[in-house]
Amino acid sequence: MTTQDPEAKAAFLQRVREAIGRTAPLEYVPDYPPLKSAAVRQEEKVRTIEARSLARRDRIVETYLENAARAGWRVHRVWSPEDAADAVGDIAQGIRAKTVARSAEDLFRAVDVDGALRRNRANPVVLAAGRSRSRADVRRLAFEADMGVTGVAYAIAETASCVITPRKGVARVTSLAPPVYAAIVRAEQVLETLDDYFALVRHQHQRSRTRSFNYANFISGPSRTGDIEQTLTIGVHGPGEVHLVLIS
Amino acid sequence: MSVRTAQFRSASAQAVADPKLQTALERVMGHFTEARAHAIEEFPGDSWEQLRERASAIKAHTLEHLDYYLELVDKSVTRNGGHVHFAADAEEAARIVLDIAKQAEAKQVIKSKSMVSEEMELNRRFEEAGVEPVETDLGEYIIQLAGETPFHIIAPAMHKSRQEVSALFQQWLKSAPTNEIKQLCAIARDALREKFRTADMGVSGANFVVAETGTVVLVTNEGNGRMTTSLPRVHVAISGIEKVIPAIEDVSLFLRLLPRSATGQRITSYNSFVSGPRAQSDEDGPEEFHLVLVDNGRLNLLRDPEFREALKCIRCGACLNTCPVYRKIGGHAYGWVYSGPIGAVITPMLTGVKGAKDLPYASTLCGACRDVCPVKIDLPRLLLRLRQREAEGDPARERSSTWLERMLMGRWSNAVKTREAMERSARLGRFLQRPMERSGRIRRLPVPVLSGWSRGRDFPPLARKSFAQVWRERLAQEPSE
Repeated sequence: MTTQDPEAKAAFLQRVREAIGRTAPLEYVPDYPPLKSAAVRQEEKVRTIEARSLARRDRIVETYLENAARAGWRVHRVWSPEDAADAVGDIAQGIRAKTVARSAEDLFRAVDVDGALRRNRANPVVLAAGRSRSRADVRRLAFEADMGVTGVAYAIAETASCVITPRKGVARVTSLAPPVYAAIVRAEQVLETLDDYFALVRHQHQRSRTRSFNYANFISGPSRTGDIEQTLTIGVHGPGEVHLVLIS
Repeated sequence: MSVRTAQFRSASAQAVADPKLQTALERVMGHFTEARAHAIEEFPGDSWEQLRERASAIKAHTLEHLDYYLELVDKSVTRNGGHVHFAADAEEAARIVLDIAKQAEAKQVIKSKSMVSEEMELNRRFEEAGVEPVETDLGEYIIQLAGETPFHIIAPAMHKSRQEVSALFQQWLKSAPTNEIKQLCAIARDALREKFRTADMGVSGANFVVAETGTVVLVTNEGNGRMTTSLPRVHVAISGIEKVIPAIEDVSLFLRLLPRSATGQRITSYNSFVSGPRAQSDEDGPEEFHLVLVDNGRLNLLRDPEFREALKCIRCGACLNTCPVYRKIGGHAYGWVYSGPIGAVITPMLTGVKGAKDLPYASTLCGACRDVCPVKIDLPRLLLRLRQREAEGDPARERSSTWLERMLMGRWSNAVKTREAMERSARLGRFLQRPMERSGRIRRLPVPVLSGWSRGRDFPPLARKSFAQVWRERLAQEPSE
């Protein structure tokens, strides 16, 4: 595997240093608050965020749904896991889906999406490697599916974003390759702002010093482009139709 | 990308005379500025201003400690299982990426948008090495088919009409002719889906690189960036060294500033955060991750305290959209990767001042670029400074003003230093201009150096009486009260 020799790296950094006007490397962390803030303070910060999110849950969810509708999400608000499964079934029926790809999260134990899909004559396909399927097969199935369904790690009210992370059983392509996508979000997963989300990430990062923030993706609306005559067009490489099923 | 900055004068004259280009510019440019203005309306009082101040301060801090933060990036990415490569110039960066491709036995590479890869002429380098590069951002794909370079930082194909795009697709993809933009997007989608599935390697740019966590942040709308960073076995991210920000909590600030300044969006459809190859437990994602951090002239800006702030740029394109010069001549006239006011500042510093000495004059110094810049770069100051250096003859640069020009400027400076000298010179001027004046205009100044001023316009003659003289006469006439 291609790697750069440490001496070449050191020489490069020395040139950067000299361009700034210093000769020796810094021995200390620069005086910059976010890097200095101790894990204890971050812990407090996160507790405050959690308390605020709980206290203002209804308001935060309202804002989230308003922003989502504005950003092009089709919002389905439901009050039970059963209704959530039915909502996904209805969406599949609406687009006459034949196959629907879904992730293999624990969420689907409570939300029986498979049953609802079958009732609507759609075939559920669970996309997770290791289920005697190669990555190439997972990929092919995702590209051929009419719709993809996943849960989320968090949602962010400020930007109407679903945060997808590679938790167990979540293939990145499930929310990307099919032309229609449905995200299932529980009300308690909704954070108020981008700041809240990144504070949590930082906290997790500080607690486990290895690979805590390996990959994440925000989905904040349908795939779009303005590249031809700056005319907004929906659904280029990613899903053009995105549904948000929110369980309160 | 080859440097064609020396042809700026002829290229911009051509652009202004091109009716098709002018139609395209008029159609598009207004949208951008309106969308941006609308997007920042939701920030009450000076809260938008405060975001800009903070972003500017964070960038300044990072640049002052760039060696420290680059080393931190290296540590973090390595800890995550990825590889960091530092490249001194475009040539070395291209060699590194080609090496990675060779090791990975890549035959086909999918690319999402990267301006640094334009600096490297990476597509040409891939082709020479027998690797097929495919641009997957719709705009980049269109200009790749057309064999052109980006016209705008964030809207690379904005100068192409739907008819031209359709013609390109007919030629290269054998598609049926259509003037429906939706249909054109669908054609590109189908053509690129197969490439996404089969490519061996993905190359992306980076909007930000977070030092603390070793995270490459990508800001996209189409989904091609996600495809590029998720599907191929190898992912290579290429970034200028100035894209580093310290901590993951800084990201929210920049995510508020960038899309609003660029397209007027509250947020783009997708933001990807990639800190390394996939974990063992992950279902998909690349097995190999490389981050190539490129200097390619940026240290020239870092070294120079007056120009360091140009490295704060987050490449939103707002200064292009608002610039009366860019709005008339478009991006290609600037002759290299970066256009508009920021291009006019950094291109001379990255590619050498000599060939790009006309670029600092591609500005009316109206200040609109400074007002919209999300990180508060004082672009007019930098443009003026470049002009000044060029005129003074910086020790490191070639002196471009002639001895005659310098002598005349010296005389001018003496002539206006004191009131007496100025009135004396004005009297002399009024005498000398007599033979040149025709019905209140001077059409041509037959003096070397000065003749340039009257080439494209009439020169106003000195008034018969100076203001001071008129004033004195009036005071003498009016009885004092």
